[in-house]
Parts: sequence; structure tokens; C-alpha cells
Amino acid sequence: MLLLQNARIASENSPVLLEGDVLIVEGKIQDIGSNLAIPEGARVIDARGRVLMPGMFDAHVHFRAPGFENKETITTGSEAAINGGITGVVMMPNTRPALDSATSVATVLENAKDRARIPVYTSGCVTKNREGKELAEIEGMRELGVKMLTDDGDTTSDPAVLLRAMQYATEFGMFFASHCEVPELAGPRAVNEGVMSYRLGIKGSPACAEEIIIDRDIRLARAAGAHVHIQHVSSKLGMETIRWWKSRGDVKVTAEVAPHHLLFTDEHIGDYDTNYKMNPPLRTQADCDALLEGLIEGVFDLIATDHAPHTPFEKAQDFISAPNGITGLDTALVTLHHFFVEPGKFGWDLVVKRYSAEPRRLMGLPVAAIEVGQQANCVLFNTEAETTFTKDFMKSKSQNTPFIDQTLKGRVDLVILGAEILLER
Amino acid sequence: MARKDLLDIASLHREEIEFLLDQSTSFKKLFTHSVKKIPALEGKSVLMLFYEASTRTHSSFEVAAKRLSAEVTNFDVAHSSITKGESVRETIETLQAMRTDYIVVRHSHPGLPGMIARQTTAAVINAGDGAHEHPTQALLDAFTIREKFPDPKGKKVLIIGDILHSRVARSTSTLLQKLGIEVAYLGPGSLVPKYVPESIRRFTDYEAAMAWAPDVVYLLRVQMERQDVQFFPSVREYHRVYGITTARLAEISDLGLYIMHPGPVNRGVELCDAVMDYERSLITNQVENGISVRMAVLDWLTPGGEFPRQESIYAARQRASSPVSIP
Ligand SMILES: [Zn+2]
Repeated sequence: MLLLQNARIASENSPVLLEGDVLIVEGKIQDIGSNLAIPEGARVIDARGRVLMPGMFDAHVHFRAPGFENKETITTGSEAAINGGITGVVMMPNTRPALDSATSVATVLENAKDRARIPVYTSGCVTKNREGKELAEIEGMRELGVKMLTDDGDTTSDPAVLLRAMQYATEFGMFFASHCEVPELAGPRAVNEGVMSYRLGIKGSPACAEEIIIDRDIRLARAAGAHVHIQHVSSKLGMETIRWWKSRGDVKVTAEVAPHHLLFTDEHIGDYDTNYKMNPPLRTQADCDALLEGLIEGVFDLIATDHAPHTPFEKAQDFISAPNGITGLDTALVTLHHFFVEPGKFGWDLVVKRYSAEPRRLMGLPVAAIEVGQQANCVLFNTEAETTFTKDFMKSKSQNTPFIDQTLKGRVDLVILGAEILLER
Repeated sequence: MARKDLLDIASLHREEIEFLLDQSTSFKKLFTHSVKKIPALEGKSVLMLFYEASTRTHSSFEVAAKRLSAEVTNFDVAHSSITKGESVRETIETLQAMRTDYIVVRHSHPGLPGMIARQTTAAVINAGDGAHEHPTQALLDAFTIREKFPDPKGKKVLIIGDILHSRVARSTSTLLQKLGIEVAYLGPGSLVPKYVPESIRRFTDYEAAMAWAPDVVYLLRVQMERQDVQFFPSVREYHRVYGITTARLAEISDLGLYIMHPGPVNRGVELCDAVMDYERSLITNQVENGISVRMAVLDWLTPGGEFPRQESIYAARQRASSPVSIP
């Protein structure tokens, strides 16, 4: 039994935080109210001033297993999630072997059950080995609970293959997540085409390389009657393309944005800092502004980190040799608080809606909420305390993030899932 | 204002540039003496680390180092396929153990010499990194121009060709602008980036560029080895549209303009044969001046000092990069 006293409760439906006590009994929220009586044997936590919200859910993470366990494992990845106040994730299938069959999905899900303290879901490949040629064994993966199909990291290049996959898998209630990029246009290295790519002497990747596929894949989904989810949008015109399609209302399209695309521009790359090397690349301030606008407006249904761990050795190479990607699970919630909630750009209701409720809806899962009768799935967030993202603080196996050794406002104090306290600081 | 490394032109101050150009003048005078060697780098070792083949720059550095009495070693990497960043890091560890004083490095990856510089006590000179920078080329270009125009402020240099892949264009234009020289680019639309700095004029047509009245026409080498992507329809077409044809050479000669080229020249592409005999061609001057400029650079840099150990490079870079600011 656990009684959280005087918490400020956040909900996707309310811009104001309601203050109250929350009683958790046997992993369920049994009562919410003011001045609740303290039941005998209950542990009491003074939550005064702190925000209580549902656990976050990240629908785009790379846990690198199988194949790249030196970067991350299901254990370290899910601990990084808990560390950041996230109580559920969807893994991407670009592992080695790629998750393109019932066999590989079954193995990874079994591992997840043993090695993660939070539910870990996985997406499956659209095509065998993510090669864009033959369809993966879609139905077998569906039987194991896979809902999202994606060749993440690579666009399914042949539109005919993707269209057929959409026509086929929609029958099984599955949807498609698209990493959007024309490889021939995007060039070899992840830098936005602009002043910075000229200065660095690296062939830039123009935003149109991304925008073309955003439009293409929505058109294909419309033709197939499928649901398409657009991953990690980085450009203004990309956002506007999705906005336009959504306004038409004749195709099911959802979209996500990553915190780093809201926060950083290509200028941050500075003197070839590989922590800012990612795909799609960081673009300009005008793009960041448009993405924030799209998030507030709801063009982006959800926030997802694209948590992409790489070893220090790989990232400490020169910019061209270093791999793309940035970790995000340990830092996402504090980052959202520090840069957006605290300065008043958006409220906790948006964070709850976009980073907890909508991603669960996307995956067809019950939405977590601080309500009587619900399973306890909550995060107590301290808005006054600070977090310093030292190497020791991070639970991810890799620390390739620009936030390393930075101090930001906000701290995840407590993470509860069912009857278990997953984290307490 | 001693520096350990010369990695780029962008971070050089004007005083440093003037100093290097003045030093180059002194070194060049030395060439007329019967004894061309001075003991400035006596007992020091210079390591040549060329991941990309280059006869011209390589031998220019070698001659410069030897005239300063340094010992020159060639690390044979040009023919190995091990050119990725990881293996370069392993090489650097070896080099650090060898306690070399200077490393002259050329690599196709932009920013790689900077990475080496952060991991060694040796003074690192960037001899060309991808399409990023080639600082000694820029210095020798500026030196060559200053020999013809002792007060170069307000002069105009038209750079023609493949800007996209050219470290020479980037470094030289940056340096010339720092000396008050105006710079313009002219080249095929597919080879001139859309986002060049606003301070550089961009022409799309040869006649318009000539109407701007440049003092120097600087031709870039067409990278014939880049055959994977087609940037212009044919070499013949390139020569006709952007090259110095016989007719254009006559006009240039009438106007008394200087012609420069970083070499090696593709005859019949960037320029017609007759340019090589043109009296105002500075192409051989550039080669000659390369030696004195590189002597000045080697003499100027100061190897040694503290450097972060291998394990902490990553953290050090984090600390060095600007703190995250609220957007
Ligand atoms: Zn991804």
C-alpha cells in the first residue's frame, strides 16, 4: 500500500494540475482525493509540489539486441527508460538478424520478458532483412503481437513493394511506420544541406529528400487504405505536408517528432561534434519552430526519442566515420520539462498526451492515467530539483548525447508500475 | 600567439596571416642563397600522413621540412585501404608513442586532422581534409597574389569550377576575404552549393563574371576521378562553358588579368594549352611559393603541451563544446 500525499496530478485532458492524495493498493489506484485517511501499514510519500503523471511510452527506440549488444541490450535500454520515467517502449527491428520473422520476434520478446522490468514491444520489418525486396513474414509476427511494420533506418525504396505490403498487412490490422528519405538525394552523411554543410565540407542532405517520402508514403497508404505513421520528422515542409494530408481526412496518418529535432539545429554540430550527427539531420531554427508548432497543434500525435545508442569509441571518430544517432531515454522527460514546460511553451497535459497517451493508443494499448481503478503506472516528477546527466547517472550502455555532463531543471523522483516501485531517488 | 596546430583558415586571425606571409617572404629570400638550409627544426621529426595520394603537396612539405633541417618520415598509408576513422585512431596511438613533433596529414574525411590534433602532442598541419580546408594552399595563394599586389585590399578574385568538392575554394576564399579581397564563384549549378556565404558573389555566367572585372581568374581542378555521379554532361561542354578557351585567353590577356590554378592542371578542360605559356599565369609561382609558405608554417607552430588521454577525449570534447542553450 502506498499513499502519495499532495501530489499535483497531470492528465492529458486538463491544462491545470489537480492537487490531491493518491492511494495505491496492490498495484492499482484505489482512491484519489484530498486528505485521504492513512490506511494501516501504508507507506506515505510526501509528494507536495511534485507532479504525478502517467508513465511515458516511447514508440521508437533502438535496443540493439540481437547483434549489437556492445551498444545496448534490452536490460540496459529498459533501465534507461525507467531512469527517464518511461514505462513502455517499442523497439525498432534493425537488429542483426533483422526482426523480419516470427522466429526472430519470438526470441526477442522472450528475452524482453526475462530482462526488462517494463513492457517492451517490438515492431517488425516490412521486407526480409530490410532489403526492400521481398515481404517479411508479416502474419507470423502479428500472431506474436507485432502491430507496427517498418524498415526503420531505411526507406522501403520500391513504392510497389510498400504498396503491396500495405494492402496485405492492413487486412491483419497492422500499420506502417516510415523512416522517410530518398537515399539518392540524402547523400552519404547526415548533415542538413545549408550554410553548415558548405562550411564543414560535407555533402548536405536536403530536406526535400525527406519530404518526398513523407508525401509518397501517405499517398501509398491512402491508395491501400492503410494506416501510416511518419517517423521522426525534421523539416518544416515535412510537418506542413502531414498537416495538409490530415486536414483532408481521407487517409489514416499519424506522426512523431523527436526532442532533438525540436531543440537543436545544424549549427550545434560546430567543430564536427558527432553527438549531433543523426538521421534525419538537424536542420534550421525555422524547422525547429515549425516542428514545435506542429507538436502543439497536433500534427504530431506523439513524441518519440529514436533512442539510438552507439559506443563512445564509434562516436569519438571523425564526423564522417561516426554512426548516426543520439540516445534519448534517460534525458527525454527532463529535457521536455527544462526547455518547454518550465519556460511555458506547453503544459504537462501536452507531455502526457503526446508522450504517454497517444503512443499507447497508436500501439492499441490501454492508456495509462492517474484515475481510480487504473493500474498504477506513474511517475513522480520534481520540477524544482535538477538532474546532471553524468556518465554514472545514465543507465543506457552508451552516452552519445549532447546532454552528457549538462545540468537541467527537473528530476524523475519515483517510477511506479503496478505493485512495484521501479525507481526511487 | 603560438599555436600547436594549423587546421583551418577560418580560425586564423588577420595578424597571424600577415605574420605568416611576412615570414614566407623571408624564407623565400633564402632560396637565392647557395646554402638553402637553416637549422630551425634541427633534431625535430616531421611525419607525413597522406591517406590521399598527392605528389605536389607531399613533396612541397617534404622540401620545406628538409630546408628547416627536420627529419622527415613517411607513414605509408596512401596505398592501404585502412582509411576509416577507427583505424586512424589506432594509427594515432602509434604515432603518439613515436613522439613525432609534427604531423602533416591529408585525408578525404573533413575534420579528421582536427580529431588527430586533439589526440596527440604533435603539431598537426592539415594538408587537405575532404572538401573542408587546405590552409597552406590558401596561404600560398595569398602570398602569390600579394607578390603581384602588395596592397591587395579591394582586389577581385574570380574562382571558377567545382566549388562543391573544393577545399581550395573554401580555404582560399576565406583567407582572401580576410585580407580585404573580394571573391566571386562561377561554376556549374550542380557544383556550386546553394548556400555559399553571402559575402561571396555568385555568378552563373562567364560573361557576367568577367563584367565584374576580376583581377585574378582562379581555376579549380576538375576532379576527373569523381565518376560515380555525373555533375556535368561532358568535359568538352565544361571547357566550352567554364574553361579558359583560346578566345577567352585572348580577352584575359588584353585585360591583363592573372591566372591561377592549384594544380595539377587538366589541359583542355580548365584551360587551353596556351595558358601555360601566358605571361601572367601564376601557376608555377604558386608551386614555388608553396615551399616558403610551408616553411613559415612549420617554423611557426609549437608542438607539445598537455593533451587529453585517449579515454577522456570524448568527455573533453563535450566540455569544449558550448553548453546547451535554451532555444
Ligand atoms: Zn530509428
